[in-house]
Amino acid sequence: MQPEEIPTLQPQLRVLNREQVLAIHTAALEILDKVGFKMEHAGAFEMLTDVGCKISEGDRLKLPQHLVEAALDSAPKQIVLYDQRGNEAMSLVDGNYFYGTGSDATFTLDLETGQRRRVVLQDVANFGRLVDGLENIAFAMSMGNPENVPVGEIYIHVFAEMVKNTNKPIVFIADSGQDIAKIYQIACQVVGGEEELRKKPFVLNYSEAISPLRFPENVMEKLIFCARKGIPICLPSGSNAGGGAPVTVAGALALGIAENMVGLVVHQLAGRGSPFLFGPNVSTLDMKSTVVSYGCPEWSLTQAALADMRDEIYELPIWAYAGASDAKVVDAQAGAEAMFSIISSMLSRCNVIHDVGFLEYGNTSSLEMVVMANELIAMSRFFTRGIQVNQETLALEAIERVAAGGAGSIFLMDDHTFEHFMRAQFLPVLLDRNRYDSWKEAGAVDMYQRCNLEAKRILAEHQVEPKMNEILKAINRILQGG
Amino acid sequence: MSDLKALIEAVIKGDINSATAETQKALDSSNNAQDILDKGLIAAMDEVGVKFSKGLLFVPQMLRSARTMQECMKVLEPFFQEGDVTSKGKVIIGTVKGDLHDIGKNLVAMMMEGAGFSMFDLGVDVSPELFVQKVQEIEPDIVAMSALLSTTMPSMRSTIETLKQAGIRGKVKVMIGGAPVTDKYAREIEADCYAPDAGSAVTKAKEILGIS
Repeated sequence: MQPEEIPTLQPQLRVLNREQVLAIHTAALEILDKVGFKMEHAGAFEMLTDVGCKISEGDRLKLPQHLVEAALDSAPKQIVLYDQRGNEAMSLVDGNYFYGTGSDATFTLDLETGQRRRVVLQDVANFGRLVDGLENIAFAMSMGNPENVPVGEIYIHVFAEMVKNTNKPIVFIADSGQDIAKIYQIACQVVGGEEELRKKPFVLNYSEAISPLRFPENVMEKLIFCARKGIPICLPSGSNAGGGAPVTVAGALALGIAENMVGLVVHQLAGRGSPFLFGPNVSTLDMKSTVVSYGCPEWSLTQAALADMRDEIYELPIWAYAGASDAKVVDAQAGAEAMFSIISSMLSRCNVIHDVGFLEYGNTSSLEMVVMANELIAMSRFFTRGIQVNQETLALEAIERVAAGGAGSIFLMDDHTFEHFMRAQFLPVLLDRNRYDSWKEAGAVDMYQRCNLEAKRILAEHQVEPKMNEILKAINRILQGG
Repeated sequence: MSDLKALIEAVIKGDINSATAETQKALDSSNNAQDILDKGLIAAMDEVGVKFSKGLLFVPQMLRSARTMQECMKVLEPFFQEGDVTSKGKVIIGTVKGDLHDIGKNLVAMMMEGAGFSMFDLGVDVSPELFVQKVQEIEPDIVAMSALLSTTMPSMRSTIETLKQAGIRGKVKVMIGGAPVTDKYAREIEADCYAPDAGSAVTKAKEILGIS
């Protein structure tokens, strides 16, 4: 008799039931219909009133439910990001997950001295190369705003620096409609033109509205630009519980979703069918320090909730975070918080997961943290793949051989072990399992130091496939304002 | 003169009803309004500040205490002649040009008000020219500026430049804060001080004005 194939359960996390999903969704729609929002971009304001948004109290707009439904209908349910060589890299659909770094940190941990210092452009290059060389980090963000480039052109320079140092997809920041146009020019140079970029986008824009319910002009410029050019975008609003939003996460979720839906409606009006990622960032404001926490359980919980809501209602690819910490150094807190968000974001089916490698609530970036996260992602992946159950893995024959094999017969010697161990086990690289004496003999090196050495090794050895000279020249011309 | 212990306790707890009732009671038992303010309300807020810095209180509790104090002030106000109430100093505060974020700025304003400063909040996206105009109008002791974004932080420098050009930089102290701001940056643009968070904004403001 042919044994039937047993399906493998892949562990997943659900945190909302259907009633909870509907209640939060209804609250979000009510916010848009009754409270309204401030739209500070004249063009977007007009687009919204043209389709039936009502003006109240001077400049507040109220948005009826059917506009949200129409926008959800027209936005694509799957977004594919490509690498800079045109290969499919990130298929954003279902529970496919991709981890990447973050942006806009003021400081970084110096790889040589371990000191926290201001970010310079070379750091952006280093993070780009590190990402390029790490298996489980799928996309790059700048990891800092360098102090040695003109402030008005920061985002153009860091984008160019990333392009020069990695071929993976890039999530980029811009300030307004002006610098995003230049960044777009650079992106077009990389792939050979506007049409190529539209067909195979390797870039995704991250922009932020302001909670509660405020949509600044410069942010809307970027949203409309991306909608028209077909560049994927996400537009969280920072509806952090206790900060931009109510302290209770249900209300913070409702507000963040409402804000996200305003973005989506404007986006689909400006470019019907253009790709938009769902997901407000809903972390929490610490009630002592008033920082927005990057290590709290709330953020992991809210993005798991958003993934549930995506599955039930919105069906759009989802934007998320993980692998970050509020710790100031790469210590036990950093490891614990990074792992908590990495495994929970994977279990809850988030798609684009950024901020990997942040310390100090996103204010400091760390190459070591990125290296550590790379391994924690591998560990989480092993866990979320579940347990394959079949004749081979039940290994009854091996059990019989060893049990009946007499003295000296051990599983370690059996062919079954030799054939399966590479896949059957998670094989750590940086997490240390040495016996005490050999660990001590090798210098008693801790995880932070091992990650530091690994980051240095990758930066010294990893070769990024270089861009063609013409592309580099064209980028430099754009940087020089030509 | 009656004991202000119950008033102090109510302010620390953030119990608005009890605190205003206690304020009225203190007035009824012929306490001087200035004494109620100094030995009751401000003493209570000082203790709140100490408790907060020791990590014994959370921000919402501190803000509730500040609001409680404001409500008590309303009860006291009719008993002061105009100009009678001694403020710790006048402070103009705003988020700089190009920046629309105001949670941090509002928090600083609230905390400083609770500590006895007279606050003039200019809101967000405040141009250097508006800062200058308000300095001329209000003649504050301190100009406080906030920025959340690296890209808007340079507006702090241009505001200080504009104050210089208007010839009034020497008349005010300038303090700055916000996520990308550092002590080093404050020195570079010749601000008088940098405060990393709302709690220390109060301490720093007192320091630069030489008061306790």
